Amino acid sequence: MKKFIDESWLVLLMGIGFACLLAGAQTGLNDRIQDNKKAALNQGIAEVVPDLGSEAPTMFEIDGNNVYKCLDNNGQLAGWAIVGSTGGFVDTIELVAGLSPDGNTITGIKVLVQNETPGLGDKITTDPAEKNFYPRQYTGRSTNGPFSLTKQDPQNPNDIQAITGATYSSQYVMDIVNDIIMRIKPQLDQHR
Amino acid sequence: MADENGSNLKQFTDGIVNNNPVLVQLLGMCPMLAITNSVANALVMGAAATFVVVMSNTITSLLRNLIKPHVRILIFTLTIATFVTIADFLLKAFVYDVAMKLGPFIPLIIVNCMIICRAEVVAIRNGLARSLADAFGIGIGFTFALLILGVIRELLGAGTWTFPFPIPGIAPEGFIQIMPSSFADNGHNWVIMVLPPGAFLTLGVVIGVVNWIRSKSEGGA
Amino acid sequence: MDFGLLITIFIGVALVNNLVLAGFLGICPFLGVSRKVDMAFGMGCAVTFVITVSGVVTWLIVHGLFNWVGTAVFENAGALYFLKYVAFIMVIASMVQLVEMYLKKFFPPLYEAFGVFLPLITTNCAILGACLYIDMKPETQNLINAATYAFGGGVGFTLAITIMAGIREHINFSDVPKPLQGAGITMLVAGILSLAFMGFTGIGK
Repeated sequence: MKKFIDESWLVLLMGIGFACLLAGAQTGLNDRIQDNKKAALNQGIAEVVPDLGSEAPTMFEIDGNNVYKCLDNNGQLAGWAIVGSTGGFVDTIELVAGLSPDGNTITGIKVLVQNETPGLGDKITTDPAEKNFYPRQYTGRSTNGPFSLTKQDPQNPNDIQAITGATYSSQYVMDIVNDIIMRIKPQLDQHR
Repeated sequence: MADENGSNLKQFTDGIVNNNPVLVQLLGMCPMLAITNSVANALVMGAAATFVVVMSNTITSLLRNLIKPHVRILIFTLTIATFVTIADFLLKAFVYDVAMKLGPFIPLIIVNCMIICRAEVVAIRNGLARSLADAFGIGIGFTFALLILGVIRELLGAGTWTFPFPIPGIAPEGFIQIMPSSFADNGHNWVIMVLPPGAFLTLGVVIGVVNWIRSKSEGGA
Repeated sequence: MDFGLLITIFIGVALVNNLVLAGFLGICPFLGVSRKVDMAFGMGCAVTFVITVSGVVTWLIVHGLFNWVGTAVFENAGALYFLKYVAFIMVIASMVQLVEMYLKKFFPPLYEAFGVFLPLITTNCAILGACLYIDMKPETQNLINAATYAFGGGVGFTLAITIMAGIREHINFSDVPKPLQGAGITMLVAGILSLAFMGFTGIGK
């Protein structure tokens, strides 16, 4: 026993010291990290709900999805921001979709978290070269029926054109949007 | 005293040039390949690794007379893991966007052989000044190597150079467009460069060029 | 239990998102131990074993120990998550020690052959990487899926390193330009291999 303590007192002491250090760093920086997360979400909401006022949106939950009720500067309903996510096979994708006050039109989508292949799949978030071609397709669409993915130029009103070389990433995003408009949207009325 | 300073300086510059951890010693390859698809990622990863190697060398060097030989690896790993976690918190607190992009490659600094190698080779045998000189040299050398790859890959793959945060005057939106915008618009960018194979190919060529330059300069001297 | 999902996870991590060729994990042993096929295969088996055990144990630590202590003591399941990385690397280090002792006792020739690379498995990023991915991914939040993911990761590693060793045995007989000899040509070959593995993209998704 004495030998054991002789050999390992430094390790034990360092273990305790480091654990305290980490706990300190966690307490010190956690607020800031949470603020960053919130700021990223708020920025996303501001992008997909164009008329959002200065008042912070109120949050509630529908079937496990966080929904934000957004007011404009006059206190009128400006739209809804709904957060949805999927277990994409590569990684989680999380996005926020904006709906118009009556819930019938998509006012924009913004991917918040993704880890898709750089240069291909990550075009679901930003794609400066093609002016965010993929996410922009959803803006202004009606929320009547589920969207379907196509690799050619869209023919039907509910078609969404996939990103070349990233059909699966496009599919995941579309699945989340479909889930939001088919499952969450009909329940918005109770929260007006 | 002057001699001591001279050797510290040499220790520092060796880390950047002659002993460059990635290009010469071939250590720390994983982040080198994985996150060098943009300049911003390379810079942030380099800074995080430098922070960890400096802290780990400091602690190891200060405790070098207390550490028993056969528990040293355990102590190194413990120290490195702790400071990597702190670096992770710091990055999420200050450069949130880039930290999200780097994802698991921040915690993977723990198993970057470069850092444990510096503790084992230098810090456990030398005083604080020398260990620090070494840590900064290695850290900067690592960042430099990451930057070379990041600059090449992002330039050919996307035609831009991105930075971790906007720089007023030079890059107000956080990136500068190097290639004419028609480069990416018309699909002339080499997407392969920002994908995994591009990383291997670029690094292979860069290592070849470094070896070629080294053999030239050795032959001349 | 969803058997189809298990197969998808396995193929996903072994081929499509191969830890070495698409995820850049475990590059150091990939370069260091890939000179001979039999050694590369042995290394792959050792890594597969360590990865599977560590994957399961770290899963248990996060979902069992951390969540339980966190809930019981701090009333917040995530209260201890800041110790994750330290705990992960400690688990991996002790697993490697275990494998080392086992090989030394039962397979001395293999132990001799591995030499310095065995303790280096500790700093093999493929293992820590797999544990971190298991912790992050939504589909590995139950134990069986996590174990499948870890095992698949090990198989993928073995596959990549063995193929590489096979190619390198042939490169020995070819005339490589001097500056590219060693690491340079290995990187270029790895790049081409990685291109080949990109052909799997889309399978099983």
